Amino acid sequence: MPKFAETLYDAYGQEFRIDELLHEVKTEHQHLIIFHNAAFGRVLVLDGVVQTTEKDEFIYHEMLTHVPILAHGSVRRVLIIGGGDGAMLREVTRHRRIEAVTQVEIDRQVIEMCRTYLPNHSQGAFDDPRVQIVIGDGSEFMATTEERFDVIISDSTDPIGPGEALFKEKFYAHCKSCLTPGGVLVAQNGVAYMQLDEAKTTARRLQRIFDDWYFYSAAVPTYIGGIMAFAWASDNPALRHTALATLKERFEKSGIETRYYNPDIHQASFALPQYLIEAIGE
Amino acid sequence: MNRLNCASYKEGEFYRDLIQQFGSPLLVLDADTVRSQYRDLRQALPGVEIYYAVKSLPHPAILRILSDLGAGFDLASSGEIELIRNLKISARSTIHSHPIKRDSDIRDGLRYGCTTYVVDNTDELLKFIPYKHRVGLFIRISFRSEAAVVDLSKKFGCALEEVDAMLTLAAKLGIHIKGLCFHVGSQCTDARQQVEAIHTCNTLIRRHHDTGAAPVSILDIGGGFPIAYDGGRMDIAAYCAPIRQALAALPPYVNLIAEPGRFISGPAMTCVTTVIGKAMRDGLRWYYLDDGVYGSFSGQIYDHMRYPLECFSNDKERFATVLAGPTCDSIDVIAEDVALPELNLGDLVIGHMMGAYTLASATHFNLLKSARVVEINGRFKETARIAAEQDIRFPLPVNPVHQLH
Repeated sequence: MPKFAETLYDAYGQEFRIDELLHEVKTEHQHLIIFHNAAFGRVLVLDGVVQTTEKDEFIYHEMLTHVPILAHGSVRRVLIIGGGDGAMLREVTRHRRIEAVTQVEIDRQVIEMCRTYLPNHSQGAFDDPRVQIVIGDGSEFMATTEERFDVIISDSTDPIGPGEALFKEKFYAHCKSCLTPGGVLVAQNGVAYMQLDEAKTTARRLQRIFDDWYFYSAAVPTYIGGIMAFAWASDNPALRHTALATLKERFEKSGIETRYYNPDIHQASFALPQYLIEAIGE
Repeated sequence: MNRLNCASYKEGEFYRDLIQQFGSPLLVLDADTVRSQYRDLRQALPGVEIYYAVKSLPHPAILRILSDLGAGFDLASSGEIELIRNLKISARSTIHSHPIKRDSDIRDGLRYGCTTYVVDNTDELLKFIPYKHRVGLFIRISFRSEAAVVDLSKKFGCALEEVDAMLTLAAKLGIHIKGLCFHVGSQCTDARQQVEAIHTCNTLIRRHHDTGAAPVSILDIGGGFPIAYDGGRMDIAAYCAPIRQALAALPPYVNLIAEPGRFISGPAMTCVTTVIGKAMRDGLRWYYLDDGVYGSFSGQIYDHMRYPLECFSNDKERFATVLAGPTCDSIDVIAEDVALPELNLGDLVIGHMMGAYTLASATHFNLLKSARVVEINGRFKETARIAAEQDIRFPLPVNPVHQLH
């Protein structure tokens, strides 16, 4: 039986049985495979690293969308950087009160491929009339756009690779200027235990730009090595401490059904392990 | 001196047919030889994982053959990474073995998924701090070899006395040192130096283990396995006997790796050239061939090798002859004062054992194209085919001109 062994860490790693290889392509910059695995459904791999799987993607996508949107409470406009698989779009568009969602994806091919091979990720979200897709470099878009957003979600690959620019101080600064007052930036920031330096670097950069910044977390099985850290940055420190009752009320009103997110998880996700607190504190 | 063999005219038919079909000059890669060299070395070094040194012949054809056999790959640059990535070979079976790297080289390697790197000094070790959770490193130790034609321990490798300090520093930084490696040289005449290096590493590994530190659990014995450029047969099993013995003395938790390049690629390729010009100069016959030291014969300059040559003629008479390459430079001479029969324009001169460090270091001087590579299986020319048409190096023109205003 063919197998896929992730090449992220030298001394440790996860392995999947490839029950069916669905797609393999070597583009100019990256090597992409999509296969079916009995335990995780369809698995998307870029350059030897698992990006997303059908079975556990909901954890990651629910946490990067509902947490900032429900903490904010009156989000109208959302920007997604990256997220070519469309799952982030799917979760955002479930909020009926949101008026416009812009997604900037660098590679049109990724969207096409994911619509074909990972249709459960987007579930038709690309066709939502509120959605605008921009094909282009996320960091350049941020530098030039006149638009303003209540929530910006950075759904990037790891900092080693095409997502590198989305971890730079300049990118965070552009994000800040594209946020409406009291807006929130959230960003994927790697598995904290394995990539502690990434959290450290991001913390240092956010600190220089935003009045309030922190991390929250969730454990995603196929991002191996423990909890994944999500960066949180806003000029409104109160948002991070939104009362449980308020979250419950907003969540109920949204009518959204979730599989990972709930208001208790929302609050608890800002409680960080000591090793991470020490790493991000100067 | 190049060894020279003159076979009957009829024996040249195989190569004449290939030239007819694919043009001249031609590099003929024999897949059967690649496979048998790989197999022979595996048998000579049981329990040792083979990582082919891509630098010796960085051509897709040989990489594909070796990948199918389950070989690993020893990489030394981002270009080599790109080549192997294009073949969709898993990074799991690769080592980045260059002891000196830019940060961008490390990132290119990590992005491909290669997590094994080599360091031989503390500055290099410090470069891995940001990536310490992802990588496992080898420390390269220098063992000078007088028995190697190409000494690889002069430019790289830390002194034996520095190893402990590097292990201590790495432990302090939280960087995992998983193994030791050495390269005694290339084309070694005997295994004494390798055996001595293995013994020394054995002592080091055991001493380190006794301190209770994380075990150094891989020994990479490098390459250097010789091939016979004099037309004889290399008994690799006999050559490796003392190495096997030395390896058997290592503690059981130590895994073994070798990085042969020349041994696998060298004998697998034959260079076929054509006489394109003739002259008599100072009583010597000069034959100008369509490939030379700026092309496939570049190894005679950089690699210090002399390839066994062959021509095909039924004439018995011999004349003092010079074989020259096609470029305008006078250094472009393959062999001087060799005894050859009279050759005619269009006759072939063959260079054997020309897989390693030949095409790899060929230049585009005079804007001459590198020889094409044709893949064959043994003597069955019916299956011969052009192996990957794309040039393995940069397409010409190389340097864009930036105009300053």
